[in-house]
Amino acid sequence: MEPIIQARNLTKTFKGFKAVDELSFSITPGDIYGFLGQNGAGKSTTMRMLLGLIFPDSGEILINGSRLSNSSRHLLSGIGASIERPDMYGYLSGWDNLRIFAALSGKPIPSSRLYEVLEIVGLRGREKDKVKAYSQGMKQRLGIAIALVHSPQLLILDEPTNGLDPQGIAEMRALVLSLSRDHNKTILISSHLLYEIEQVATRMLVIHRGRKVVEGLVRELLNPDETLVDIQVAQGEQLKDKLAASQWQTHVTAITHNTLTLKMNTAQVPELNRWLVQQGALVSAINSKHSLEAYFLSLTNDKAAPDRNI
Amino acid sequence: MIKLLRIEIYKIFRRPRTYISFGIVLAIAFIIQLAMYSGGKDFMSFGMQGVTEQFDVQGNIINGYLVTYIILQSLLIHIPLLVALVAGDMLAGEANLGTLRLLLTKPVSRARLVLVKFVASVVYTLLLITWLAVTALLISLLIFGEGDMVNLKSDAFIVLLKDDIMWRYMAAFVFAALAMTTIAALAAMLSAFADNSIGPIMTTMGIVVVLTILTNLELPMFNVIKPYLFTTHMIGWKGFFDDPVPLKAIANSAVVLALYTVGFLGVTIAYFNKKDITS
Amino acid sequence: MTKKWIWMLCLLLVHHAASAADASQVFYALRDKMLKIKDYTADVKVKIDVAHIRIPEVKGKLYFKSPDKMRLERNGGISVLPKKNINMSVRNMMPAGNVTALDAGYETIDGKKARIIKVIPEDEGNIVLSKLWIDEVLMVVLKTETTTRDEGMVVMKLKYGAYTVQGLPDQLTVLMDVKDYKLPAGVTMDYNDPTEIKKPKDGKPKKGSIQLTYLKYTINTGLTDEVFNKKK
Repeated sequence: MEPIIQARNLTKTFKGFKAVDELSFSITPGDIYGFLGQNGAGKSTTMRMLLGLIFPDSGEILINGSRLSNSSRHLLSGIGASIERPDMYGYLSGWDNLRIFAALSGKPIPSSRLYEVLEIVGLRGREKDKVKAYSQGMKQRLGIAIALVHSPQLLILDEPTNGLDPQGIAEMRALVLSLSRDHNKTILISSHLLYEIEQVATRMLVIHRGRKVVEGLVRELLNPDETLVDIQVAQGEQLKDKLAASQWQTHVTAITHNTLTLKMNTAQVPELNRWLVQQGALVSAINSKHSLEAYFLSLTNDKAAPDRNI
Repeated sequence: MIKLLRIEIYKIFRRPRTYISFGIVLAIAFIIQLAMYSGGKDFMSFGMQGVTEQFDVQGNIINGYLVTYIILQSLLIHIPLLVALVAGDMLAGEANLGTLRLLLTKPVSRARLVLVKFVASVVYTLLLITWLAVTALLISLLIFGEGDMVNLKSDAFIVLLKDDIMWRYMAAFVFAALAMTTIAALAAMLSAFADNSIGPIMTTMGIVVVLTILTNLELPMFNVIKPYLFTTHMIGWKGFFDDPVPLKAIANSAVVLALYTVGFLGVTIAYFNKKDITS
Repeated sequence: MTKKWIWMLCLLLVHHAASAADASQVFYALRDKMLKIKDYTADVKVKIDVAHIRIPEVKGKLYFKSPDKMRLERNGGISVLPKKNINMSVRNMMPAGNVTALDAGYETIDGKKARIIKVIPEDEGNIVLSKLWIDEVLMVVLKTETTTRDEGMVVMKLKYGAYTVQGLPDQLTVLMDVKDYKLPAGVTMDYNDPTEIKKPKDGKPKKGSIQLTYLKYTINTGLTDEVFNKKK
């Protein structure tokens, strides 16, 4: 299948700082393409380049096979975007905002379509309110309605869960999945949180300091066999020999005086737990974390990413 | 293009701040009308001393036409600020608001967007000038009545007959609109450089104020550059109240203003076409 | 020989006395003729030609009342006339009271022979000396050259037509010194041709002229003072 977007060797430097460095990737129809990187890794710069907001120093962007430039901005009509904060004209109603951006999309859009997208994002009934009275979540959803209104093939959503409360995050996740599944949208979604990407994306790209770290199918990259399990246990050293003699021998990656770390499939964790109990170990906690996440966290030192408790 | 323009005009006129300008024009016109109503005689006899020493000037000097002229004289210094409020905001304001990045992900060329926004600012400017014409001219005529108009220049005392004045005002308003269009283009250019609207608005005013001072300084060293400053030409509307009307000079001034306008717009488009939107 | 000299001297004296009396007579006769005009209302055209005053030729109604009230009414419009002392009346160039009148020869003005009489007022007034060119046939003044205390030299030229009998001119032109006029450019913020380099002013008085053309007179209708005191 021909990619909707191909980025080839994109490089962008701001005042001597290399924001994006020789970055290449492609997004094919049907993907929910997760774009993962810590804040300042170059996600937004890259997405802005895809949208013609920022001009790359070198490299090129192909949209449906055609090169994006100032003279081929019509290619953007196939893309809908919500970049960073969902900023709107606060002094206008949600409806007016939607109408204005719909009118700029290059094709006539009937009012019925406006109601349709308001329905999709769950803002129907609130469209006459001024945007400045909207909550952050409503603004995000209006942003997605604006991105959707001209029925683009591809949606580019930059950190759509930013500033949302847990319920808003869950709703946003459900919306993204529904857009892909029910509305056949190809989606590029960015986040600085792996678990967010992991829950929605089919493919993902991890970038760090503007460079590609890894790219591939989420199910391959987040292979459950690659889970790192941390066990908080009293006198960990005393278990060292028992572990070495057990079926867990090949899984051990590190042992400190109160932490054991094993790499294994998450499905095996209950079995490991039973074995530890049988050995008389006093287990206080078991945390599992995918190796990719561990690696990612080591890059980012991002305390905001919570460990997953099992 | 028309659709885009309608959207931009809609955005301008849905903002409460747009109407502040109209209020300011009304307020200043009203204050001057009030001042002329109470102290206009003293004001004019002071200005006319050089003439009344030897001549007897009789008649209704403080009339609607004169008051309008005095309002225009003082307001056309302030109107650039009101024009800059909108034109300086057109790109920078949206950058500040964050809507510019959304706007520019739409399949609309940046040059077209700049042009449309500029034309929308010009529409606003024209409405402001029309409003000025109504509040200054119409209300002054209603309060003070019509009559022959006295125009005090630094070296001449000019009397224009009342039947010979209206066309001068119409021409003056058209010229003022052109001058304010140049200001709009300047503010638009500065707006493209900035990501918040205070900068371009203040800078526009700063440039206008400094250049106006240069234009009015009677220093030989500045006389060389004066013909090249747009502020020298901005007051060309006053030429219509001279006798005879210096049509050639006014036409020349209009051309200079038009060239500045095109120049400012050209720079705006060239710069904005290459600008990275990081706001 | 001596007798002849005395005779000649006598003749000269007699002649001089006779002509001096003649000049005074002419002056007084002329003044009396003018004093008969108590008031008039006239339709006029006014043309002002002064370097710093730019006003188109205007039509109006001129009211005059003896001795020195004058008002130009332009139906609410603005009128500009020289100040009261000069006024636009030849009468004001003729000193009141007793005068010393001297002959100063003859000149031809517009094809008319004019007798020149110098008049020196005996009383103190604004007029120091007035030189009159008089058409003795029609008994009208064709020109005056007056030295005044306040306005300097004022010259008046007059042309006659329909109202010659009453001594009222059809056209009157005042030539006078006009003081220079200047307001600070920073206040007026003038628009001038930016490409034109202005010559600095010398500040000296300039010659100016005011021309009044009378179209129709209505004489001695008994105008009241109120006409001249109207606000507008």
